[in-house]
Amino acid sequence: MINILIQATLLGGYYALIACGLAFMFQVMRVINLAHGSLAIVSAYLVWVVSDTFGLSPFVALLAIIPVMGLAGWLLQRLVLERAVKGGELLPVLSTFGLAIVLDNLLFQQFGANTRSLSPYVGDLSWEAFELPGNIYVGKLPVYILIAAIVIIGALDLLLKKTALGRQIRATAADPVTAGLVGVDARRAAGVAAALATMTVAVSGVALGLRGTFDAYAGAPQLLFAFEATIIGGARSLWGVLGGAIILAVAQSLGAQIHPQGFLLGGHIAFLMFLFFRIWRSGKGSILAAFLPAALRKGDAQ
Amino acid sequence: MSMLSVQDLDVRYGQFRAVRSVSFDIVKGEIVALVGANGAGKTTMLRALAGANRVHGGAIRLNGVDITHTLSHLRVAAGLALVPEGRKLFLDMTIEENLLLGRTVGRPGVWTVDKVFETFPNLVKRRHALTGTMSGGEQQATAIGRALMSNPEVLILDEVSLGLSPLVVDQVYASLDNLLTMGTTIILVEQDLTRAMAVADRVICMLEGRILLDRAMEQTDRAEITQAYFGQGYSAVGEPA
Repeated sequence: MINILIQATLLGGYYALIACGLAFMFQVMRVINLAHGSLAIVSAYLVWVVSDTFGLSPFVALLAIIPVMGLAGWLLQRLVLERAVKGGELLPVLSTFGLAIVLDNLLFQQFGANTRSLSPYVGDLSWEAFELPGNIYVGKLPVYILIAAIVIIGALDLLLKKTALGRQIRATAADPVTAGLVGVDARRAAGVAAALATMTVAVSGVALGLRGTFDAYAGAPQLLFAFEATIIGGARSLWGVLGGAIILAVAQSLGAQIHPQGFLLGGHIAFLMFLFFRIWRSGKGSILAAFLPAALRKGDAQ
Repeated sequence: MSMLSVQDLDVRYGQFRAVRSVSFDIVKGEIVALVGANGAGKTTMLRALAGANRVHGGAIRLNGVDITHTLSHLRVAAGLALVPEGRKLFLDMTIEENLLLGRTVGRPGVWTVDKVFETFPNLVKRRHALTGTMSGGEQQATAIGRALMSNPEVLILDEVSLGLSPLVVDQVYASLDNLLTMGTTIILVEQDLTRAMAVADRVICMLEGRILLDRAMEQTDRAEITQAYFGQGYSAVGEPA
């Protein structure tokens, strides 16, 4: 049982890694980016191409791909999201959903139906393990992924709370017009926030590729796990997302213990329980309202 | 030379002309009281000056530079700051964080966080309190302090005393006294005519999007301002747009 919990926590580390970019966009920019999973697959492919072409370690390739994905996020904000948010709550959801379909099919056209993995490029790391007392083995890779998730979430949290850039991003999220009136370049702050979010996506794409295999259509399940972890975590703080990711992974692992096919079902049940609990407790109709503190909603700076 | 020059300014909400061909010039160091009934177009005009409302026609110049279509954060960088109506603080941030945001454009000058706390001593003990938990007077002081942090040459104060008790208004003005003597050019909206007349060098009175009266304070009196406020004896009012 302890072994199951430890392995589930490590899986939760991976979920936290893919969820933190989604949660960051949701909390900070009030945008649910449905292309999130597909962007993770795009970065996994990009890293795979670089590793395969130049024979580089995926970790080195990742360093090259992070700025590329950051630029992609900045463009996503400028070209798609900035216009979409003017059309209401639903439009960013629809436009990023469309973008996800486009990305998935472009990947399929380019790379075909073969599954790929990054694990061949890291040698023994894919199966090396730490031995814990009690004859428990934990894979080195999942431990590193959990550490990466904690470091990234901690860094984003510090950035938001302690730096001038973080204050500008929070001000822009709360009320872009007033942010402009106090001297914040709201477009720049939003672009930087989107770039940061997609940079974390690049890391999560590599984590996915190292853990197992991916193909052109692998984005949707990643998005679903990220979304579930974000909702369970409460979408108020990034640390909550780490907790939500671990809860999701534990629920999935327990589901798998009960029935061989219960893995996904266990996660979905936990997700729905948290979702309905939040909606019931908030007593409001809007799902968005259930997850955002009143003072943080758009246009509420006063 | 005029510090702020507005020529034939036109601001519209769709078909509705909220501000109609408004022109005025303000010289450096002048303190202008902008008065007028609700819906006269004061806030719309001030937000257009600060870049929060789109200008339909006319021109705005700051220090001789055309800023009619400049983005609002660049106007702050050029030295024009607005304390918006309703204060518009970032409620999930502390006083200090709100003040630090005002420093974003990095204009050099005398205003620092410490100087703001010196000017508004009632804020000192609330330094790390979330602004959402503060009283109206403390919020207003924070909003003014946040605008001052950009070291503006022109400071626009929209509805300084709205929603504040008379006692708190006294406190805010007492702290403003300091500021009024520093040579900053100020436009302020004040519903209390006595107070406006005491503080300002000049009064501009708006009605239905137009300026009806624009005079130095010593050349006018309460009766004339009140007449303009209600549009009595002004024929131009009420003509179709």
